[in-house]
Amino acid sequence: MAGGLSLYAEGTSLLHRAHPLTKGVLTLSAIALAFIAPSLWWVVGILVVLLALVTAAGVLRRFFAVALAILLPITLLLLAVQGFANPLNRTVVFALGPIVYYREGLAFAALAALRIACLVSATFLFSFTTRPADIAEALMQRGLSPRMGYVVQSALQIIPQTLEMAGRIQDAQRARGLETQGSLPRRARAYLPLMLPLVLSSLVATQERAMALEVRGFGLKVKRIARYEFFDSTLQRALRWALALAVPGAIVARVAGWR
Amino acid sequence: MTASSTKDQEGMTLGVLNAFRFRLNTLAIVLIPVCIAIDWAGHALASTLKLPLFLDSIGTVLGGLLAGPWVGGLAGLITNFISSGTVDPIAAPYSIISLAIGIAAGIGGYYGWHKTWPGRIALYILIVLVASIGSTPLNVNLYGGQSGVAFGDTVVYAPLVKAGWPTWLAAYLDELSGDLPDKLITVVVAVLIYFGLPNRYRALFSVWRRPSGEPEPAPAS
Amino acid sequence: MEVTRPALVFDRVGYAYEEAPREAVSDISLTIAEGEWVGVTGPTNAGKSTLCLLAMGLAPHFFGGRLKGGVTVLGKDSRQVSVIERSAEVGLLFQNPFTQVSGARERVDDEVAFGPECHGVARPEVEARVAEAMERVGIAHLAARHPMDLSGGQLQRLALAGLLAMRPAVLLLDEPTSQLDPAGAAAIFDVLAGLHQRGTTILMVEHRLERLCELCPRVVAMAAGRVIADGPPDEVFNREAVQERVGIPVFTRLARDGALPRPWPVRVGDAATAFAKSIA
Repeated sequence: MAGGLSLYAEGTSLLHRAHPLTKGVLTLSAIALAFIAPSLWWVVGILVVLLALVTAAGVLRRFFAVALAILLPITLLLLAVQGFANPLNRTVVFALGPIVYYREGLAFAALAALRIACLVSATFLFSFTTRPADIAEALMQRGLSPRMGYVVQSALQIIPQTLEMAGRIQDAQRARGLETQGSLPRRARAYLPLMLPLVLSSLVATQERAMALEVRGFGLKVKRIARYEFFDSTLQRALRWALALAVPGAIVARVAGWR
Repeated sequence: MTASSTKDQEGMTLGVLNAFRFRLNTLAIVLIPVCIAIDWAGHALASTLKLPLFLDSIGTVLGGLLAGPWVGGLAGLITNFISSGTVDPIAAPYSIISLAIGIAAGIGGYYGWHKTWPGRIALYILIVLVASIGSTPLNVNLYGGQSGVAFGDTVVYAPLVKAGWPTWLAAYLDELSGDLPDKLITVVVAVLIYFGLPNRYRALFSVWRRPSGEPEPAPAS
Repeated sequence: MEVTRPALVFDRVGYAYEEAPREAVSDISLTIAEGEWVGVTGPTNAGKSTLCLLAMGLAPHFFGGRLKGGVTVLGKDSRQVSVIERSAEVGLLFQNPFTQVSGARERVDDEVAFGPECHGVARPEVEARVAEAMERVGIAHLAARHPMDLSGGQLQRLALAGLLAMRPAVLLLDEPTSQLDPAGAAAIFDVLAGLHQRGTTILMVEHRLERLCELCPRVVAMAAGRVIADGPPDEVFNREAVQERVGIPVFTRLARDGALPRPWPVRVGDAATAFAKSIA
């Protein structure tokens, strides 16, 4: 399945149509602000805004499917460990036999989990509404070298192809009697026989691909011509600046005593 | 390999910078996405075999060994960028660690560490140190010191903090408990793959291993 | 069109790959005029692929190694021109269809556009060239497909279109159809015949002798890194040294085994005439 890696969901929302750079700045600023913000309620505020944008983009259902799978385990782990062992712990909330849970640690864990939720939401907001090829194109229009643009685009294509090949090699090796189930040492022993053929075949293809690229002029130092234009506007440019400047602004505020 | 041993004698101070003179030519550029895909496949195979390790930097280390710090570093960096945008946004801050691991492997590859036993051990220790020392401050900021791995967090971190150890030290040991086995297997597999490559292919690497500007070796007679 | 200057000149060329003990080709002298269609054949390790790599400049620029003598393509010395510069006027099609796609494009038409874009060709011109190249190799109907969803034969035609979009004056082909089925191979050869008529210089490595004799007005036979015969196919394949070291086309063998008078035919048409004559 070529291109199977991307989370991009077709859509016509404002976010889908926005310049990739605008969305990129939005994502990075939101993450930075979530980690700069001093208290739980500020972080909750940022998360609410992000979730509203996810809803506006029309991808809320798909978002929950992938985000919860990441956020639930880490939130539980944070609550379990920090509520039990945090240097700030003073106030007992409850005890499970010898394991005592404290309010301070649980609050600490909640704040950390909410910040991570902002990180995940902001990133997925971007991934769900932006075509990977557009990211590379937008960056190249802003001066990313075409060779680096190639690396990113090519990686996005090769990863699913390689994973598919990994599946085929697993089937083939299993058919030859390689045991991929059972005890840990037995499963570990299967790792190398699966990995080696996969890596060797993909590495050996690089030589021919590199030659084929040079034969097509790849790496020639010429002025790059944009492949297509993105929708941009004064409003978007202003928004990008505002979001980017909000980050140093927040840092200054924190230093000046924002609590 | 006489050329590299004279370089060693010039001293580590500036000699290490030579590792960064590796050519980033078309072959190197094409190698990066393949290393990224190997990172992914290594992790996917570890998951399907239910191994309790990440094994998500085999391609990064291999790229460094084969083609120097730029290829290794970029492979690591972009591997993390892509996983951040698709399956695991929490990986994003750790991109910088993957970059550092690739650079470390590239420097080790430049000095040919993967070719001798003491060198291989040095490579392993260097990569473990880079990963653990680099990740700990990120863990402190992201998870309050936990590593996000259930085993290390419950068996190492929680008891140590409860026993009154400083959180940064507990955080470091928690991270180390994951990195020690993970990077061991990573380095072993990367080195095995390196020596599993066909000779013809490695001869090609020796062409562009030569830093730009260095003259071609005299014809073998 | 009658005034022809050399497109490719090999002047006493020897080349050894990096870390290889022996030369892959030795003492090659060849001159190929503009507009010629030359077939190269020979057993494995004869140095046929190396000849293509030398003409493209990949040897020595990509492979390192040691080059003796001079390779001049369209008046430019290989040592002075990089492969990517040469790509503006010389194209090389490899055997394997799967490794020749850029791997970075998600549509067939975008893939064809890759080369012209690398050369900074303006947008409307790129689109015109892409449309023309796809039309010429017969993949226009696949424009919106993903390259990796194509068959081997379609992919090889896509790779050829990617080269044609650069409008090369010289086209080098290293066993372009060895991994294709007969229909796929025939499609490629049809495209080449059209290019030959338009004046493109073609150097094609091909181990299927019957194909070679039908298509190429001039054949270069190689063995052990050296040129052992060079000329029209009926002349080349009537030489004993070539028959012994390179092989013998099936019609030539039939004529020989049937004890027909020399020269033995190499093409199916000539063979039919020769046999008809011998029966009469």
